[in-house]
Amino acid sequence: MIQTEFSAEEQKVLDVLKQVPDPEVEVNIVDLGLIYVVTKNDDAKTIEVDMTLSTPGCPVGDAIMQHVQTILEVNFPGYEVKVNLVWEPQWTSDLISEEGRAQLNQ
Amino acid sequence: MEAGLSTKNAPSVWVVVPHFLLGAVGLLTASVFSVIHYEDFLGYNITPEMLTITHLMILGWVILVIFGALYQLIPVVMEVKIYSEKLAYATLVVMVVGVFFLIAGFLKFDSKFTHNMAMGGTFIIIAVLLFAINTLKSAAASPKKSISRLYIIASGLYLLLNVSLGLFMVMNMSYNWLPIAHTQFLKTHLVVGLAGWFLMLIIGVAARLMPMFLIVHKVREDLLVKGFYLINTGVILAFILAWIPNYPTVLFGVALLFVLAGVLLFLWFNYDVFSKRMRKKLDSGMKPTAIAISILALSVLAFIAVYIGDDVFGLPAGRLEILAGLLMIYGFFTGLIFGQTYKTLPFIIWLFYYQKVVGKQKTPLPGQMYNSKLVDVHTYSFVISILLFIVGLLFSVKYAVLAATIVMLFTSAVYAINASKMIFHKKQTK
Repeated sequence: MIQTEFSAEEQKVLDVLKQVPDPEVEVNIVDLGLIYVVTKNDDAKTIEVDMTLSTPGCPVGDAIMQHVQTILEVNFPGYEVKVNLVWEPQWTSDLISEEGRAQLNQ
Repeated sequence: MEAGLSTKNAPSVWVVVPHFLLGAVGLLTASVFSVIHYEDFLGYNITPEMLTITHLMILGWVILVIFGALYQLIPVVMEVKIYSEKLAYATLVVMVVGVFFLIAGFLKFDSKFTHNMAMGGTFIIIAVLLFAINTLKSAAASPKKSISRLYIIASGLYLLLNVSLGLFMVMNMSYNWLPIAHTQFLKTHLVVGLAGWFLMLIIGVAARLMPMFLIVHKVREDLLVKGFYLINTGVILAFILAWIPNYPTVLFGVALLFVLAGVLLFLWFNYDVFSKRMRKKLDSGMKPTAIAISILALSVLAFIAVYIGDDVFGLPAGRLEILAGLLMIYGFFTGLIFGQTYKTLPFIIWLFYYQKVVGKQKTPLPGQMYNSKLVDVHTYSFVISILLFIVGLLFSVKYAVLAATIVMLFTSAVYAINASKMIFHKKQTK
């Protein structure tokens, strides 16, 4: 599933994740369309992110996920962060935002 | 956090990096020899210096870097860990020792000329066998059934076949088991080596990486499938012909046509990927790669011209062979390695230094670990040296060849500086 509507709190999570670049293409992972679902629960103090990679063989995949985990823990202290790697639906270049497309060719 | 499938398959930085470092040394040494002995490019006699240059370029540069890059790329392409890192270290040591003795043999460092050559050759054959075992074992364990994997498996099998053929050739020269001319085997040896191993390996890796780097979906995989059958048919036909005394030479031409048709489909595949790419602006790695693929097309034309014959074009005997070989080894393979260096080396070094601190500290990106202006410099100078070689060889202009070798040396030096900048990177965090 790919989430299309985000609450104001979830949008804050997305804004933080825009600081995480894909080291190969140097475009942030949100505009690349790698973030599928964001769930922020302020009562339970949890943040859960479903994300994918552009290819299962991506050599920096673990580093990107590590970056997501760490940056969320740093920016949302006291929250338990869970990052899930999902492969369905498969990522395609159609998921890149207009902003991401512009960044790709800068 | 769940672990991804990727980084845990990545090899140790210590497996990959020494190949690039030693490869750059091999390229620089070959370039220095080229400047000193530039006149040999215009001659037809095979001099010890020319043997040194070609073998340093092929064994000490192209194959060495391909070995290193493959240890990093096999996990990406086939989603599997490399079969054995210890085997990879052993392969490197045996290969380097082999190249050293072979070159020593060519240059007659001592009176044991043939002894050194034979020893060097034996070491190289062992290294190639070890590499083939590592590649095939990795491919066998791969869960990914794809056209890339098929090409890589076929290339590994042809590598084993070619080494066996090479050994047979040496033995047949000594013992005369079969009354077949040595040159007949040599032609097949070149086709199996260049088309069966090199080309199929490169197509297999490129089939996966080109769409990945340029961000393309829905690629024309059918072109690669057809190309696979065509190249295999050509290589197998060339292999069968080697064993038939006095076969009609037109049959060898037919074998080459099959290979050529496969190469053209690979070029078509690349054109299709390039035209559909979402990443329009080519980065430091893709610029030299695109140039190398264009030179492959030129090289194909040169090989066709070789088949037609030097005399038809009014050129001295052997001139087109030298041009075609140069376009393939220095043009295509070297250009491709230049480009793919920036798609492999910074990433494995970046992972080594920064994987554990991303998000906690500010880190450079892999693309910031080398000087992109220097990439442009050595890309332009590379193209200039190729053009100078073409002019010098086609019009027999001695000073154009000299200039080409000097620019080649400059290109190699700038590349080596940029590669060293990555290899000896100092950790930078804020």
